[in-house]
Amino acid sequence: MIRAVVRTELVKQLRRPRTWVALGLVVAVPLIIAIALRTNPPRQPEDGRDFFFVAGHSGLFVPVAALLATSHFLLIVVVSLFAGDAIAGEAAWGNLRYLLVRPVPRGRLLAGKLAVVAVFSIVATMLITLTALSAGGLLLGFKVPFVERLAGVSGTGDAIWRLVQATGYVAWSMSSMIAFGFMVSTMTDAVTGAVGAGVGLGVVAQILDAIPALGHLRGGLPTHHLEAWTHLFAPDGSRGDIVRGLILPVPYVAVFLGVAWWWFRRKDVLS
Amino acid sequence: MPLVLEAAGLTKQFRRGVLAVDQVDLHVAEGEVCGLLGPNGAGKTTLLRMVLGLVRPTAGGAVVLGTPVRPGYDALRDVGTLVEEPAFVPYLSGRRNLRLWWEAAGARWEDAHVDEALEVAGLGTAVDRRVRTYSHGMRQRLGLARALLGRPRLLVLDEPTNGLDPGEMREIRNLVVRLRERGVTVLLSSHLLAEVEQVCGHVVVLDHGRVVADSPVAEVLAASGSAYIEVDDRDAATRALATLDGVTDVVFEGDGLAVRLHEVARSDVVAALVAAGIRVETVTARHRLEDAFLELVRADP
Repeated sequence: MIRAVVRTELVKQLRRPRTWVALGLVVAVPLIIAIALRTNPPRQPEDGRDFFFVAGHSGLFVPVAALLATSHFLLIVVVSLFAGDAIAGEAAWGNLRYLLVRPVPRGRLLAGKLAVVAVFSIVATMLITLTALSAGGLLLGFKVPFVERLAGVSGTGDAIWRLVQATGYVAWSMSSMIAFGFMVSTMTDAVTGAVGAGVGLGVVAQILDAIPALGHLRGGLPTHHLEAWTHLFAPDGSRGDIVRGLILPVPYVAVFLGVAWWWFRRKDVLS
Repeated sequence: MPLVLEAAGLTKQFRRGVLAVDQVDLHVAEGEVCGLLGPNGAGKTTLLRMVLGLVRPTAGGAVVLGTPVRPGYDALRDVGTLVEEPAFVPYLSGRRNLRLWWEAAGARWEDAHVDEALEVAGLGTAVDRRVRTYSHGMRQRLGLARALLGRPRLLVLDEPTNGLDPGEMREIRNLVVRLRERGVTVLLSSHLLAEVEQVCGHVVVLDHGRVVADSPVAEVLAASGSAYIEVDDRDAATRALATLDGVTDVVFEGDGLAVRLHEVARSDVVAALVAAGIRVETVTARHRLEDAFLELVRADP
């Protein structure tokens, strides 16, 4: 029966103008990057691993540049928009109480809503890669031999496989922010508050991460390994902190979703 | 008559310490229209939300259609609800709203009584417009349509005529009467006394979270001591009545005086007026729910 919740929620999201604005944003930015790289390619690499320089010479690397450019802020905003709105949006409309007396059991509603948030967050991340790859291929061509040397990939297939992994990593690295926004969404009727919570976690974590005095504590910040996936394109084949970055969100997600579950099942629905 | 709704000792204390509902017992028999009456803030909405499993009682419990009330209890399938404002997804059409709401519980749209419900709503082609563009009255009617989609056995309506114009109010009263004739049990909260007087057979009066009366409407009316008196000198009569024990309120109304009485017979009032040299032209007993209601609410400090 959770399928019924997921299906109806998907329809709601797909028919919502705001969903398309959010997805439009994650399409627009890679397009702009690809066009900019084509019209004004970087002449000199800024340092050893300047992916924008590489992307300027091969469309295969435009997705790398696009994921780097969007994952620190834009993508966090977009996924927080989906997550923060999930329950608080219904509460703000007053529709939540009617769903609950339909009756849709609270646990099922929460799980269904979370599934739809996850789907749209993954779609948003994939759109960045797909748009960048198509626009990059079209405007710059794939030029594999060039990138083989710079990034240690062997052929187009290998490059695309690594892009798939990178996309998955970036989507998963959003999960702490998604879970936090979702948790706050069960607690408030103010959508902006819940969306702001997700964005706020991402922003504050990155600010703290920039303070060296915090030392090893920074390793536990949910955004600390946000760029670890770029090691997928390291010429020396090192994998850096990718595994650590994959494990990092697990406790955050567990705690935030656990609190959301506990809270929402006991909550007095007064909206 | 079997009970459709039975609540015992329902109590809700909010965290800020507000005792919204205090030890409420409620019995609604099958097929009756029960009015829940009380001033704003009396706890009507909180009580209804507890009955619907939206708010957890601090103490006490309720059984609806044979099922103990807890969040999302299964018997809610047979309960139609309109709780406070009717609310919808604003960017979807009225019809799409009803459909997604219906299907969210895993039911098939073909099984909903759509035509019947939409006929009640009487929205015409507007049902395919976005709800965002609806007037308050249209939302209210769509909300009623949603409540009726599953042909509920119990209808819980919280201030269903709030914010409607007199014509729309009458339509909703007529609807409640039609539903009662079909055997639907209705629990209707209102602060509009005329509404309750016209459609309800049974009334529960709530004040400061407590039940202050629970009886057939006719009995509540009979219990109220209230009279309309026409005299030759209203000012003199007012002065004379002010000294009489049991007269709790005297106001000018029309050509006469509306007098509220507490444990004093109308004949005693007339005698007192005559003794004061005032000529009494007309005395009528007034069985208005409004008086009964105000008396009940006032009696409980």
